[in-house]
Amino acid sequence: MTPGATILPVATGRVTLTAFWRALRRYPLLAWASVAAATAASVAAVVVPILLGRLVDLVVAGGTVGSLLLTSALILGAGLAAAILTGAANWLVTEWGMRACADLREEVLDRALRMDATRLESAGSGDVASRVTEDVERVTDSVRLAAGIFTALVTVVITFAGFATLDWRIAAAFLVVFPVYVLSLRRFVPQAKRLYAAEREAAAVRTQSVLNTFTGARTVHAYGMQERQSRRVEQASRHAVVARLRAVRGFLWFANTMNYAEALGLTAVLLTGFLLVRAGDSTVGDVTAAALLFHRLFGPLGLLLMSFNDIQSAGAALARLVGISGLDVPATRPARPISGWLPTSVTAKSVWHRYPGGPAVVQDVSIEIAEGQSLAIVGESGAGKTTLAAILGGVFPAAEGEVWLGDRRIGELDPAELRRTVGVVTQEVHVFAGTLADDLRLAAPAASDDDLHAALRLVEADGWVNALPDGLSTRVGDGEHPLTAGQAQQVALARIALLDPPIVVLDEASAEAGSAGARQLERASAALIRGRTAVVVAHRLSQAHTCDRIAVMAHGRIVELGAPDDLVAAGGRYAELWSAWRR
Amino acid sequence: MTQTTGRLIRRMFWRQRRDTALCAAFWSLHQLCEALVPVAIGLVIDQAVGTGSTSAMAWSVLGIFALFTALTMGWRSGFWFLSRAVTEESHELRMRVVRRVVGGQGLRTSRQSGELLSIATSDTQSAAELLELGTRGVSALVGLTVSTVVLLRIDWSLGLGLVVGVPILVLGLNALGPVVGRRTSAQQQAVGRAAATASDLLRGLRPLRGFGGVDEAVGRYRTASRTSLRAGIGTVKAGATFVGASTFTTGLLITAVAALAGWYALDGRITVGQLITIVGLATFLTDPVLNLADCVFRLATARASAARVAEVLAAPERVPSGTRTAEPGTLSLDTVHAPGLDGVDLAVAPGELLGIVTAETSTADDLTDLLAGARPPDRGEVRLAGTPMRELDLASLRRTVLVEPHGVDLFGATLREVLQTGDDRDDAALRAAMASAAVGDLLADDAGFDRELVDHGLNLSGGQRQRLALTRALLADRPVTVFRDPTTAIDAVTEHAIADGIRAYRAGDDRATVLVTTSAPLLDRCDRVVFLRAGRVAAVGRHRDLLADSSYAEVVLR
Repeated sequence: MTPGATILPVATGRVTLTAFWRALRRYPLLAWASVAAATAASVAAVVVPILLGRLVDLVVAGGTVGSLLLTSALILGAGLAAAILTGAANWLVTEWGMRACADLREEVLDRALRMDATRLESAGSGDVASRVTEDVERVTDSVRLAAGIFTALVTVVITFAGFATLDWRIAAAFLVVFPVYVLSLRRFVPQAKRLYAAEREAAAVRTQSVLNTFTGARTVHAYGMQERQSRRVEQASRHAVVARLRAVRGFLWFANTMNYAEALGLTAVLLTGFLLVRAGDSTVGDVTAAALLFHRLFGPLGLLLMSFNDIQSAGAALARLVGISGLDVPATRPARPISGWLPTSVTAKSVWHRYPGGPAVVQDVSIEIAEGQSLAIVGESGAGKTTLAAILGGVFPAAEGEVWLGDRRIGELDPAELRRTVGVVTQEVHVFAGTLADDLRLAAPAASDDDLHAALRLVEADGWVNALPDGLSTRVGDGEHPLTAGQAQQVALARIALLDPPIVVLDEASAEAGSAGARQLERASAALIRGRTAVVVAHRLSQAHTCDRIAVMAHGRIVELGAPDDLVAAGGRYAELWSAWRR
Repeated sequence: MTQTTGRLIRRMFWRQRRDTALCAAFWSLHQLCEALVPVAIGLVIDQAVGTGSTSAMAWSVLGIFALFTALTMGWRSGFWFLSRAVTEESHELRMRVVRRVVGGQGLRTSRQSGELLSIATSDTQSAAELLELGTRGVSALVGLTVSTVVLLRIDWSLGLGLVVGVPILVLGLNALGPVVGRRTSAQQQAVGRAAATASDLLRGLRPLRGFGGVDEAVGRYRTASRTSLRAGIGTVKAGATFVGASTFTTGLLITAVAALAGWYALDGRITVGQLITIVGLATFLTDPVLNLADCVFRLATARASAARVAEVLAAPERVPSGTRTAEPGTLSLDTVHAPGLDGVDLAVAPGELLGIVTAETSTADDLTDLLAGARPPDRGEVRLAGTPMRELDLASLRRTVLVEPHGVDLFGATLREVLQTGDDRDDAALRAAMASAAVGDLLADDAGFDRELVDHGLNLSGGQRQRLALTRALLADRPVTVFRDPTTAIDAVTEHAIADGIRAYRAGDDRATVLVTTSAPLLDRCDRVVFLRAGRVAAVGRHRDLLADSSYAEVVLR
């Protein structure tokens, strides 16, 4: 269990049901049509065996061929009606569920993307991602199942009503199955929950192991460790096999008791019929129809009981989704965006920050970066550089202290206004799946192709972009045309160039691009910084050295601050770093 | 391709012959009992309910329980054997795919690792379900046969009608199959795309917020989600048509049989009890008919999965293995032409620490691929101890030459597991290698080498991961080891320590070491540095001497 699981809420059963109900109620027409079609379909389906019973009665009574034909025609008509209505019900119920599900997943993604930054930072993106992908998938998949369950439920109710029209005493006899069902469910469900959870977990471990092996195939080849690695996967896969078969065994016990419940029910129905017919209270035809009706119930009843687990797991997934969709989104403040307001300075006033449950990572930092000035932040990893940069860029708020952009507190700005003002390049680089133009336009949807080319030119990416197979229309991102680490960095810089904010915060990892690539990136960053107020987390000291001022961080504090040459001359910590770098 | 798929399917059934045969037998028993349930109902009504005989009714109750015991036993046993066969077979197929993908030099395939993953996990499962379709099909046929025989014994014309009618119905329903199948795969793709969009956006969430792209991203996901919804509704309609059609055809079957039997009964050709049996059988028949239709319906999907599995298993190796055993010795490039290399000669002899600097980053990739034997040169020869690499047996080559990839992939749950790649090494050896890679700090806590690494070390920092990979490569202790940019995520002070560590660890007359890098601290410790520019050897010498060359200095100085 990740620590995030405790931070991202899971909705309670009641809240989940309410949200589910609300989502379904959004489509009243579909809802009523679904209920009507499912009911009518079940009625038609129940009429068939009843009519078959009539047919037997008719033969026993020695009726005419004409009445036989009439009954047969009625059976055929009922069959046809059942067919059309069943098809329609199937369609309507599933479409209803799918629409509700689509609304829900869009709402969940919207909330996830806009989630309060502090919460997101502490929850980590893993939990969010698994909810938006796996849980959404599980809920979507279960829509069909839910549609089946819905119609099965209606069928059971209608069939029971069918019994009642034949003879209420036979209907009462049918009820003996329920205590058996309830008892076996009560024993099976908790056990199944455990077994199925173990199975899912083993399957997840297995998938992770296969994925890890495949993505690391190069390394496996390099060491010639095929055997060792395959054995590792085999172990995980074997565990999954065992867990699966254990779950199957638990399920079989349950299925067994269900079969006996059916035998019990059938006996009860026949025995009651036997007594009624002997007493002259019922006809052989009615008993035939009742027995056939009961026999027909095996299917829907089985579906209802067997899908208990799937319903539970879909319910759990739904609760996790509703947990996200119910989150508060940081309110947008449309009331006071000041058009044309473009601050150019950044001021931090005794800023502190700690992540939940952790030590302080930024301690008492006060700094002012004036218009057009650039500040480099350097220090060992873990010194708090990235956190400070994120706070200055408004990615998340400081736990204590204030950050001002020009004459306004950063917390007062509405998100759109904030992004117009400060562009942040994060340490994580991501190439969004789609065409390269689509990727860039995430930052500026209205940008023309010329704008895109101009931004790429600024960051010196025009050369390789023009050399791509389809230029700007080349599909990039997951599984498509691969970009090097350096190219992905340039794309990230180009997005900010398109956004064209007066303040930029750059926290890029340029070392991966190699020395030559890193120098190119440094030039690109320098071009982007020109004419803007800038905060740069510098992993390469050559980059820091070109900034107006350098802040050296250690243990969350700024321990040295000054112009690069002054710091070198002072012979402190920066001078030490600088000499190791130059060596 | 069809041929290999067919062979794969035949082998699946052959491997699981015992369990599938047992399943088919037990499920046939189950079908038989299911078919007998309406017969039994008819019998009970005819003999007991109709006559009012108490003893007949008592026997009936016993009979019903006996029948249901056989029925549930048959189904249960069948399901158990089937589950075992399917689970074991999907495990078997999965391991074959995994061994195939990591075996040798890897596969020559256009599929991405994500696709390979889905083939190894879901397609193997879906292909193994062919076993289920086979056994279900067989048992449904048995059920149909029994019904037909019973009907034939009552009246030959009814049985004959069934023999002719059922195949027509099943085939008719299957004619609808392709329509639904096409829709389904279209929907799966659309759903997959929506999910992929969501996970892509989430993985890029921090950068996305950094440039304020959330609104646009939400809009894009909405578009993907709506497309998927439309495709989904399309499939639902197709599926509903199928359900409606199958309900109608089975209804038709029931009506025809019942009406005919009713007429015969009126006519006195059959008894009332027989009529009830026939009516019951007619209702039972819907099960095997729908079952058969469903099997044939799902066949296409399962076969497609089997075809993908077969394709991976039959894919050619990227580079074929030679037959000669690799011997330690000088690793050399003799006038090699390849992308990025335009006639390059270089060699590293045992006992030497060689640095290779490439002015172009892509050349470093090409060079490491060549040295690893992962691709053959276009012209010229890569040799190990004088033998062309393509003639060498891969397993022995891997024991002699290690080219540690630049991208770090760690395997295992503990520090010890992550570092071991072949024969187990003792703690002292592990400690020494870790010290050389300056990663001793990971041993700081009590757990020592049993320290657990979450998600194969994904919770470590980039620098720690890089140093662990370096430790692992040192521990593997191959006669020839090639490192590619091993210190890019490591700070300058530590880098100096690592440079000394590598040099000391690899010292020895029988150890050849190559550092493909642009890092000055590493190059400074090399015996010799080869500088490649524009595909050719531009200069050779010691790092400090080469610094006088401005084009070299430009590449290695920061």
